[in-house]
Amino acid sequence: MAQPLLKIENLRTYFYAHSKQAFVRSVDGVSLEVGQRETVGVVGESGSGKSITAMSVMGLISGGPGVIGGSIHYASDKVQKNLLEGLENYVQLEEGNGRVLTVKKDESGWQKASEKLMAGMRGKEIAMIFQNPRASLNPYITVGEQITEAVRLHSGISAVKEARERAIHWLERVKIDSPRLRYNSYPSGMSGGMCQRAMIAMALSSEPSLLIADEPTTGLDATIQSKIVDLLQELKNETGISTLLISHDISVITRLSDRVAVLYGGAVVEYGPASQLLDAQAGFKHPYTAALLASVPNQQKIRARANLQAIEGEVPDTINTPPGCRFYARCNQITPEIRDKCAAIHPELKDVAPGHQVRCWRFIN
Amino acid sequence: MRRSTRVKKYIQTSGEVSDFSKLPLHKKFSIPDLLYVGYGLLIVFLVLVSYVLGAFNLLPNDPQQINMDMLMAPPGTGGHLLGTDFMGRDIQSRLILGIQAYFLPGLLAIFISLSIGIVLGVLAGYRGGYAETVITYFTNLVDSFPRLVLILLVIAAFKPDIYYIMMVMGITGVPAVANAIAGKIRVLAQKNFIEAAIALGLRTRVIILKHILWYNCRALLIIQATLGMGEAILLETSLSYLGFGVQEPTPSWGNMVQSGANYFMQGNFWPSTAPALAILFTILGFNLLGDGLNNMLEGKRSR
Amino acid sequence: MPQTKSKTILEVHQLSKHFSRKRGVLSAFNRRGGTIPAVDNVSFYLRENETMGLVGESGCGKTTVARTILRLTQPTSGRIEFDGRDITHLSDSELRPLRRDMQMIFQDLDAGLNPKMRVSDILKEAITVHERVSDAEVEIKSRLLLDQVNLKYSKLGSYSSELSGGEKRRVGIARVLAVGARLLVADEPTSALDVSIQAQVVNLLRDLQKQLGLSYLFISHDLQVVELMSHKVAVMYLGKIVEMGLTERVSGAARHPYTYILWSSLVEKHNREATQPIRVERRATWGVFDFERPARGCRFAPRCPVYEKRGRPAECTDPANEPQLRDVGGGHQVACHFPLGS
Repeated sequence: MAQPLLKIENLRTYFYAHSKQAFVRSVDGVSLEVGQRETVGVVGESGSGKSITAMSVMGLISGGPGVIGGSIHYASDKVQKNLLEGLENYVQLEEGNGRVLTVKKDESGWQKASEKLMAGMRGKEIAMIFQNPRASLNPYITVGEQITEAVRLHSGISAVKEARERAIHWLERVKIDSPRLRYNSYPSGMSGGMCQRAMIAMALSSEPSLLIADEPTTGLDATIQSKIVDLLQELKNETGISTLLISHDISVITRLSDRVAVLYGGAVVEYGPASQLLDAQAGFKHPYTAALLASVPNQQKIRARANLQAIEGEVPDTINTPPGCRFYARCNQITPEIRDKCAAIHPELKDVAPGHQVRCWRFIN
Repeated sequence: MRRSTRVKKYIQTSGEVSDFSKLPLHKKFSIPDLLYVGYGLLIVFLVLVSYVLGAFNLLPNDPQQINMDMLMAPPGTGGHLLGTDFMGRDIQSRLILGIQAYFLPGLLAIFISLSIGIVLGVLAGYRGGYAETVITYFTNLVDSFPRLVLILLVIAAFKPDIYYIMMVMGITGVPAVANAIAGKIRVLAQKNFIEAAIALGLRTRVIILKHILWYNCRALLIIQATLGMGEAILLETSLSYLGFGVQEPTPSWGNMVQSGANYFMQGNFWPSTAPALAILFTILGFNLLGDGLNNMLEGKRSR
Repeated sequence: MPQTKSKTILEVHQLSKHFSRKRGVLSAFNRRGGTIPAVDNVSFYLRENETMGLVGESGCGKTTVARTILRLTQPTSGRIEFDGRDITHLSDSELRPLRRDMQMIFQDLDAGLNPKMRVSDILKEAITVHERVSDAEVEIKSRLLLDQVNLKYSKLGSYSSELSGGEKRRVGIARVLAVGARLLVADEPTSALDVSIQAQVVNLLRDLQKQLGLSYLFISHDLQVVELMSHKVAVMYLGKIVEMGLTERVSGAARHPYTYILWSSLVEKHNREATQPIRVERRATWGVFDFERPARGCRFAPRCPVYEKRGRPAECTDPANEPQLRDVGGGHQVACHFPLGS
């Protein structure tokens, strides 16, 4: 494969919990790649850092200290750059015991530099759709006008009429019935599913190279979810857009992704081709991925009326990350030989098959 | 690292992450809030002491004694720490005694606005329906009527008594309390909090008194009370300036400012400045106390 | 499996709940007026130790059914019988003793968990609502409850803001068990939780049912969880039950087109290459619940693929001929003029 479109390396985004005087390590060393024309699914539970990763790519992190390290290389036909280029100059870290203890950050300088780097990127090169489409649309402007505005802003089409036609074209592409009529609808007059379609139309109207879809189906009804997934699938085939798809819903990830990254406690624990990673039968799996797949009800379990295989324990907070493997406390695959290492040392991502990496001591040596 | 004045520093405390409830006070709350509340409590203490001194007549001088030999004596002369007014009366004693004019009437106003406000707020928020509509219209009506005009009407109909004034103030304070409580109940209802309590089988009385008022409205009520005291003083001052406040010879800070102001231009600034400063610092104290308590109790830490 | 011998614990007969659109004093001038039939003539029964699943899309009236059964809102018409006793018109004070037996788990994790009370106080309150219990007994019972929901005793001293989502849910369940409920109405008990925690809660609810012989009315939009939990399933669409029967029958051999679409959307979501025998046409009304202008006749007709395929038969839109639930064998009921597979 040629150069990946998006290459995130060792991204670290922290927040500060004033009440506890400690860092929340929301994203703690995430590395991933999104290739050209590829859909990469990011799965994880709440607090795993999946949404924060996406927000960091978009430069939308507010609140301190925020993004404090790593690089995000972006390389489309038009733009090649590191979205965090030189930003480390504004941040000073003091580490001890392998973890960050003090962060000094020139926030206004960082913000300005980041804005400079992101200029012309947001909306134009990288577009994003969110979980709650109605909240992301302006309720007082018609859907069509909002898309027209996006077209004029990003596509270099300044003529209103032409931009309008483009907007209608995109409403049609996302399969909104009678797009000319719907052009004049306000978001409040449309269902959740239709608002999400309009959001997708707006995101794609500027023909970005990368689409970040943050929980695009969450909160929609089952029948609508399925339609949105269908639509994303079709648009992906038609336009060949690269997508970073974030979801906690494994079935959505399964339908759409070429490659999948599983996030746990702010780090990627498994990264590989969707077909291998999401196949419950295939070997070489991180215990967390295996448990996650097993905890979803499937037809066999329903038929057998068996209990689900729950992952014991709670989703960890990322304030008190243990020194060893972050899944240690909930893991059911620890063997006596590796127990000491699991408890004490955070494992590295390790190749278990070509292009398939797992962060687990079971696969190291 | 580039030099910049706006570098923010975040420090992770080494070792165990501490529990919020075990943190020392200055880490739990922001320093300004602590200062606000500290200052406010000091003022409350001074007001209480003054009230007790006034009630038992433990004043440095007789506040009513007219001394024609010492009209407008500047501060510090003849045992008058803050000087004397245009009738030669001791300003310091009159200041302390002035609290009498506010303390009980202010408490009355607070009592009226809280008690009626709680009843109406609970009715509107908890019962909803017709009661809510009627109460909303009532509070809007009270809110839209100019308070001063109402007070002047009452004074015209009865007499210019501070208790009447404070009763009107209490009633005009009802909408704020009622709306705040009804709003709080609506938020709780939205979170299915009240339904869960009903479904559990709790008695209505327990739900309202324990869960709604005690656990969820106590901060709000304390804050309303502190702000109410400040407001009472302010209202009396403005009325005194119009000549409708506490009537001479009973001293109040308002009528002291008003009578002293006539001599301000002659260079005798102290008879009006002393009560004016007292008003300023006292009201500031009550308002900061309300503000600081609000931030502390409602968890809105400014940091 | 449903035990046919066991006794009926809950029976709902022709239950309706209409919400008035008119609000405020000036509503007389509101020309739009009228009512919204959030629940319309819903009937079903639930046996002891049985779980009935209630599924449907958001806004179909599932939650209103739950709230009406618990009398948190007064039904417009119909009858609710609990343990053979008509509770439709009981007063608040008459209802209170009944609250021991029927409880609700709310979707909101924080419902019932006063953020300013410790877990021990929350449980104590629930234990002592209906009976006088000494402090020592409260202590013993609290610990027993925590055991039942698999929580550590150390959580007794925590405030709810210090608990994670799963722990809050467990405390919520412990709270309703504390009064000794036999019927639990669970309104989306897992939807606010993470996948791995969802499984824990589903298992917990199933175990509790086995141990304590509880009956559940389980409301969810998650079809798989409903399938796993329930012996019977009722599918609601715009305030009406359109299909009801044993879980296997409803999920595997759906007769109503809407049920079919619901379950096939699940299959579609899971399989990369979806196979779908009926292709559902997209229509302008798709997904829009229009209570203001409810479809005449069958409510589902505007979205119905069968209606289209059969060339829009007149029965479906005949206002006088709204399809009623009828038995198609084995207690499987469908409200459709042209059920699938016939």
